[in-house]
Amino acid sequence: MTGDGERLVLRAAGLTKGFAGDGVAVTAVRGADLALKHGEFVAITGPSGAGKSTLLHMLGGLERPTSGEIWLNGQRVDQLSQARWAVLRRRHIGFVFQFFNLVSNMTVADNVELAAIMGGASRKQAQARREELLGELGLAAKAHAAPARLSGGEQQRVALARAMANRPLLLLADEPTGNLDSGASRVVLGLLNRVHADGQSILLVTHDLRVASAADRVISLFDGMVVDDAPMTTSPHPTSLPDVLKLRG
Amino acid sequence: MHAMLRWIRADLRASSARAIVVAAMAAGVVTALLLSAGLLQGATNPWQGLFTATKGAQIWLHLAPGTSVRSLRSQVGGIEAIAGPYSATAATVATGGQRTRVELRAMVPQLPAIGRPLVESGRWLATGSLTGVVLEDTFAQAIHAGVSSVLELDNVDETASVRVRVVGIAQTADQGFYPDQTPGLIWVLPGLLRQIEPNAGHTEEVVGLRIASPAATGLVVQQVVTQLGSSAVGSVSTWQQVKESMARRDPLLGLLLALFGLMALGAALLAIVNVTSGRVLLQTADLGMLKTLGFTPVQVMTMLCAEHALLAGCGIAAGLIAARLLMPLLLGGVPGVGAAAATVPAGWAAVIVCGTFAAVLLATAAPAWQAGRVRPVAAVRAILPRGHLSRLASIAMAARTPPALVLGARSAFVRRLPAALTIGGLALPMMMITIGLGFWSTLDDVQRHPADIGLAAQVTVSPGPLTAAETLRLIRGDPQVLKTYTCVQAEALVPGETITITTLGMGTSRQPYPFHVVQGHLYRAPEQAVATAALLSTLGLKVGQFVRMWFGGVPVTFRIVGRIIDPQYGGQVLAYGRDTLTDEGAATPIGFYSLILRPGVSPAAAVARLTRASQRRLSVAEVPDPADQLGIVRDAVAVLIAVLAVIGLTSLVTTSLLGYRDQLRDVSVLRAMGLTPVQVRAVLMTRTTVLALIAVVIGTIAGRLVTIDLISAVSRLYGLGSGIGSTPSAGTLTATVALAVGVAAVAGILPFRLPGRLPAVTVLGP
Amino acid sequence: MRMPLLALLAKEPAHGYELKSQLELIFGEAYPAPNIGQIYVTLQRLERDGLVCSQDVVQTTRPNKRVYELTAAGREAVIEWIDKPSEGPRVRDEFFMKLALSPMAGTSDRLGLINRQRRHYLAQLRSLSELAVEVDRRIPKLLIEGAILHLQADLDWLQRCQEDFV
Repeated sequence: MTGDGERLVLRAAGLTKGFAGDGVAVTAVRGADLALKHGEFVAITGPSGAGKSTLLHMLGGLERPTSGEIWLNGQRVDQLSQARWAVLRRRHIGFVFQFFNLVSNMTVADNVELAAIMGGASRKQAQARREELLGELGLAAKAHAAPARLSGGEQQRVALARAMANRPLLLLADEPTGNLDSGASRVVLGLLNRVHADGQSILLVTHDLRVASAADRVISLFDGMVVDDAPMTTSPHPTSLPDVLKLRG
Repeated sequence: MHAMLRWIRADLRASSARAIVVAAMAAGVVTALLLSAGLLQGATNPWQGLFTATKGAQIWLHLAPGTSVRSLRSQVGGIEAIAGPYSATAATVATGGQRTRVELRAMVPQLPAIGRPLVESGRWLATGSLTGVVLEDTFAQAIHAGVSSVLELDNVDETASVRVRVVGIAQTADQGFYPDQTPGLIWVLPGLLRQIEPNAGHTEEVVGLRIASPAATGLVVQQVVTQLGSSAVGSVSTWQQVKESMARRDPLLGLLLALFGLMALGAALLAIVNVTSGRVLLQTADLGMLKTLGFTPVQVMTMLCAEHALLAGCGIAAGLIAARLLMPLLLGGVPGVGAAAATVPAGWAAVIVCGTFAAVLLATAAPAWQAGRVRPVAAVRAILPRGHLSRLASIAMAARTPPALVLGARSAFVRRLPAALTIGGLALPMMMITIGLGFWSTLDDVQRHPADIGLAAQVTVSPGPLTAAETLRLIRGDPQVLKTYTCVQAEALVPGETITITTLGMGTSRQPYPFHVVQGHLYRAPEQAVATAALLSTLGLKVGQFVRMWFGGVPVTFRIVGRIIDPQYGGQVLAYGRDTLTDEGAATPIGFYSLILRPGVSPAAAVARLTRASQRRLSVAEVPDPADQLGIVRDAVAVLIAVLAVIGLTSLVTTSLLGYRDQLRDVSVLRAMGLTPVQVRAVLMTRTTVLALIAVVIGTIAGRLVTIDLISAVSRLYGLGSGIGSTPSAGTLTATVALAVGVAAVAGILPFRLPGRLPAVTVLGP
Repeated sequence: MRMPLLALLAKEPAHGYELKSQLELIFGEAYPAPNIGQIYVTLQRLERDGLVCSQDVVQTTRPNKRVYELTAAGREAVIEWIDKPSEGPRVRDEFFMKLALSPMAGTSDRLGLINRQRRHYLAQLRSLSELAVEVDRRIPKLLIEGAILHLQADLDWLQRCQEDFV
């Protein structure tokens, strides 16, 4: 198992999460298994309430699983304390959220640099990394603006830059396009594809199957359980265009 | 570490207003407490300040003439400096027909480095005027002398007599206050001393020793006495004795200020907790985000604590500076205290500074700990506080109460803890303001009817060189005088007790002086006496009991028939008809005359007129108005009311800021539901107004309940007995409450400058 | 094929090759180009039905070409076609049949059936998404977007089936 685990960025086995809310015990995730290879882009999809976000949060250490195991880069992490998880996150994980969640009292540049510094960069390195990332994402001009002054799409690009600032082993994205219009969604998805092409491992949660279909693998979650784990074959195109395109004339 | 600094910097920049409020609160608390402590110290333990200001010596020796002290410093360890030797001699000063023993101390026009008297008014001795003398402050008060008074000094043999003029009044830490410490002290030029007491055998050498370690005083004294020989040492006094005799001179002031200081501290701490925890609560979402970025809970807490420690540090520094600047301003008008006396000991200052610092840190640590532990996801999802309409609210809605009122009142309590903090942070200042107003109105009463506190006479006259008959003729010739009482002041020894008390024969048994009697009745026959509460408790007596005293060897038995209020003589007064002493054969030199003026006559005018009529031979003085002395209380009350108002306002603004995020959402929803901008504004105003109303009502009722008791307790301590307290008038209170609630309403909409114009959609998103 | 050709002829008379290249120009990769034979067969049928008429145009350097033109009946037919609301796409009844009838056939693994179908749709979705990125022209892009949305609806419907059967 360990031999296998070393080739994986992330492996989870039998993850379960229950909430005791309002007297009724709710199980959000029941025994989920998944694995993510280095450089792989995996999407988790499912209807709302399927436990997608809870699963992602457990994998990022934001929530503690009720039971089950999580291995990050060959290291077992599910029993770590909050503080140890925090250290893991700042070194190896980048997070992107649906509502951007930029630190509101810091400028765009500060948000990105903060993450780089947290990841262990020096001040100079952090600044260089920030300039590089914001330049790539076309946000160099907005570096010193307050997050609230940016559009949703721009904020999400900043959030992506921030998540990438520490050159994470694993990028976790929780409905990154869920709060964006289709144009901004396509830009963000394009950027995700780009960082994936550069070798970034990505685990993405989305209910948008079009976004999910961009991944290497799509995991379907239903009622807290993994019901399908489908590798996406790079289909030969455009010669075998499906019959959906046949015009009925 | 660097990341934490980065965040702190960004946070301070982003919410600078709230950061400044936290620092300002700390500054305010430190200033208020240091000022209170300074006043308290000045009022209750003036020695420390005087000692510092006069660079005093800890040990004072009266030595036989010709004793050399040159070798002392080399032979006795621990002596830093020597003051003097100054020639000194005993003399008498004639005041009010009585001869009072004084010590004349010869000093030169140049003030010494050690033990330098602190000139309060007038000036110090000067070469040009040989007959100019400087009086010790408390002694001058006791003999009703001021700058430019003329005194008659005699040597003990009464062989030489010199008329001198008072050129200055000075304070000193060399000896205790008169009359606790006798004889009184007069500084003169060496030439005048020789003129009054040419006999060198009748002089002493006075020497002050400033020593390195005050704790070693006893040891140093022992060594000095051994060194000089006990026959050469006439008397020794140490700083401990002086300090003791100066202590607790004015318990009213001290207690009052201590009380206000503590209450202000309590209210300020509540406000600090409110502001600080409010600041942290507002940041919960950001803090959760920081945790997903990899901040550990401990880091989050450390960061918040460090940030607020920084703010507290700046605030405390500002507070220290402000206190230093304000102290002289505030103390300028305090009689008998003076700025010099009000030095806050380093220990107190340290306690105040550390206490404030600790308060800020604790106020941060608790919410910071919660924030550190909050699940990042919960924070990232920015859960809003939930609340549901209470039954009361539903009933109110059904009863067609304006929805703005119901919704506003409900939203005030959605966050329970902040609501409680706000109410507390507002009720406490309000209670103190009510008490302060009570003191204020009591002072008004006292000033309007001084007779109620035993001050029937407005003017006293001492005969000076005139005979009793001449004096009386002059007084009765003055049409402004309504009544004249001939009074004597006599020392009496209480048997079994080793103390002497000053007693007053005021008028006669048939025509007693109109004391304000609060229990029993006035003396109506010889051997009846009345006394103040403070004196009764000193002697362990009750009204109706008998007490025997000795007047210069003549025993007199009094029956205490009444308790009176009289704030003079430190509140320690025993009074009786002058005829009692004459009947018993005790010597009764006429002391002074107490004059009751016709209504509408100003005491100052009467004093001027009598002084003129007697060609300055009569010494005429106004009776000092204790309410004037209590002027400091007015100042303190005014300052504290202002501070308390600011504290209360801070609590309110914090509440309304804290509600800002919750409210923004509500505002949009309410508008979507069809409330007009005016109604929306009403909801927001109701929110703070409801909290303020509750707090103000609680505070005012509590304040009113304790005011009378508190004033009675304070005035009992002061020897006035109970019965002078009065609560602030209903009108004043109503106005105060209305003002407070009105300000609260405005504070409620302060953060929403344009609530009506916010587009609903901008805030309806998550 | 009939109505698109009529619609193209409504603008101006054209011969078979012109019509073919116009179709390709408008629909591009989104639409598998018809071969020229199919176009001529269709045009002959339209002429037989009286919707178009044709005449040979003599060319000096090349063989003569036949140019088709809309008749009044043809114009009427085009307008009627454009004005009439179109039927929506039909439900993929074949998969529905499989899902409904699989127990009779001895395989009751409906979840497997749904998953396989989903993978298929997802693969199609991915191809279409990639295609949508490559295509710049408006008409073909809109067609692809429409196909993607239909696929997403199909996927949602699969989810609905899953909720019911699992």
